[in-house]
Amino acid sequence: MRNVLAVVYRDALIRLTSLTWLFFDMAVPLLYLLMFGVGFNKAVGMGVTMGGAAVSYNDFFLAGVLSMSCFGSAINQSYGFFVDRDNGIFYEFLTYPMTRGEFLLGKMLFQCIMALAQTALTLTAAVLLLDIPVNLTLLPLTVLAVMAGIAGWFFALSIVAFRVRRNDTFNTLINVAYFVLMFISSMFYPLDAVPLWLKYLSYANPLTWHTDVLRYLTVGAGSLPVIALESAGFLLFLVISFLFAQQALKKAA
Amino acid sequence: MIAVSVQNLVKEYPRPDGTTLRAVDDISFSVEQGRIFGLLGPNGAGKSTTIKVLTTLLPPTAGTVLVNGFDAVAQPLQVRNSLCVVLQENAVEMFLTVRHNFLTFGRFHGLSSAAIERRMGRAVELFGLHEVLHQKPIDLSGGVKRRVQVAKMFLVDKPVVILDEATTGMDTFNKRATVNAIREEARSGRTIILTTHMLEEAEELCDSIAIINHGRIVAGGTMDDVKKMGLQMFYLTLKFNEIGKELQELVQKFAPVKLDIVDNEVNVTVREHHTALDILSLARSTGALKHFEITTASLEDVFVELIDRKRAAEGR
Repeated sequence: MRNVLAVVYRDALIRLTSLTWLFFDMAVPLLYLLMFGVGFNKAVGMGVTMGGAAVSYNDFFLAGVLSMSCFGSAINQSYGFFVDRDNGIFYEFLTYPMTRGEFLLGKMLFQCIMALAQTALTLTAAVLLLDIPVNLTLLPLTVLAVMAGIAGWFFALSIVAFRVRRNDTFNTLINVAYFVLMFISSMFYPLDAVPLWLKYLSYANPLTWHTDVLRYLTVGAGSLPVIALESAGFLLFLVISFLFAQQALKKAA
Repeated sequence: MIAVSVQNLVKEYPRPDGTTLRAVDDISFSVEQGRIFGLLGPNGAGKSTTIKVLTTLLPPTAGTVLVNGFDAVAQPLQVRNSLCVVLQENAVEMFLTVRHNFLTFGRFHGLSSAAIERRMGRAVELFGLHEVLHQKPIDLSGGVKRRVQVAKMFLVDKPVVILDEATTGMDTFNKRATVNAIREEARSGRTIILTTHMLEEAEELCDSIAIINHGRIVAGGTMDDVKKMGLQMFYLTLKFNEIGKELQELVQKFAPVKLDIVDNEVNVTVREHHTALDILSLARSTGALKHFEITTASLEDVFVELIDRKRAAEGR
C-alpha cells in the first residue's frame, strides 16, 4: 500500500501544478450537464422515454455525464504516461521498488480520488440546480460505480498508451475511440429509440454497461437483471484490462 | 561478498525483418560489495542493455543476473529494492520543484518525509542545489537537471547504485563533486556500477572494469590487469638542452614502437621496461638531459588498442 500511496502523492503534486488539468477534472462534466444537458432538455421538450416512462432529458443525461467524465479522466491519466516518457521519468519509475501492478493501482487510485470530488460536484449541481431526483440512498454504490468506471477505462487506455510510442498516434486513436464509443452507447439517447443494429452494437460497448449502471443508481432507470449483467460485464472488462495493462507495462521498457 | 553477479548474459532484440540483434553476447562479471565497477565501451557496445537487464527493465534472453543475491528474473521486486539507478536518459519531474523531486523519489524508496528532509541537506550541498531547490527542472539547464537526477541517488541508501553515464552534461566542478561522492559511497559499503565514455573518470574511480564491444567483453579485471592485458607500453619523454644529430640514430637502434623529436623534446614509445631504462641511460650519457618522464599506457590507450584489435580480427 505504501507504494500505491507514493504514486498517489506524486500524481497529486503533479496535478496541483496544472490548473488546466484540474479544471478539466472538476468542471467539464459539470459544464456538460449544465450547458449541453439543459439545452437539450429544452429542445426535446417532454423528455425521453425509458422503459415506457417519460423522464426529463436532464434526468436521463446525468448518468451519461458521469460515465463521460470517468472516460475523460481516464484519457487524461493515461496520456500522462507520454508526458512521463518525454521527461524520461517513466523508465526510472520502472526501476523503483514497486510492482507494475502497484504503479497502475496508484495511478488509478489518484484518479478515483479526483473523480469523487468531481462526482460530488456534479451530483450537487444535479440536485440543487436542475432538480434531478438523485437516489441519495444509493450514493455509496454510485461512488463505487464511478471508481470502477475510472479503473476500467484507465487500465484499458493504458494498454494503448504502453503499446503506442507516439503521442499523436495515441491522440488520434483515442479521439476516434471516444467518438465511436460515446455515440454507440446509451450515453446520449435511450437505446429503445435507436435502430436495431445500433442497439445491438451499443450493448456490446462497456460504456453502455457503465452508463446504464450509473443511471440505475442515480435515477432508478433500468431493470435490475440487465443492470446486474452489465455490472458483471464491466467488472470483467476491468479485471481483464488490468491484467493486460500489467503485461503491456512490463513490455513498455 | 558478491553484490552483483552476471553470468553468461545474452540479450537479443527482434528486428523488423524477423532476424534478431544480439546486443549482449554471453558476458560474465561480478562485483564485490563496496567496490566500484566500470563498464566501458563505444556507443552501441551493449552497456546500456546490460544495465537495463540489471535493473529489471529488460528480461535477459539467457543467463543469470543476481543483485544483492536476488535473481533479476525470479525476484525483480527484491532486485529493485536493492538498487537505485541513474539512467542514461534525463529522468526528472519537469513540473515539480527540485525539492518535490527529492520528496517523491524518497517516498518511492520508502523514506518518510522527515527522513527525506534530513537527508536532502547532504544531497543538496554535495551537488550545489541550494539556489534551485524551489525551482522546477523545466526552467533549469541540462547540466543542473542531471545534477538533480544524480543527487537523488544520495538521498537513499540502497546497497547497489547503478550510474549510466551519470556525469554526462556536467561541468568540471560538478563532475568532481560526483566522483568524490561516488568514492565516499563506496567507502561506506555501497557497490557502484558505472558506465562511462570518460576513460579518465573510470581510471580514477574504478576498482575493476570490463571493456565491452559488440556485446562481448574484450577485457576485464582490475585496472592494472586490463592495462597489462591490453597493452604493455612505456612512454618516455626526454627534454634536452640541445639534441645532437646522432641521438635519433642511437635511439632507433632500440627499435621503438614510435619515435618523435620536436625541438629539444624526444617522445619514445617502447614495449619493454628495460628498453625504456636503456634509452634513459643513453640520454643521460649525453650530458644534455634536462628532464625525463616514464609513463605506462593509459586506459584510453588500452581501450583504443583493444577495440582496434577486435575490429581487425573481425576484418573491419
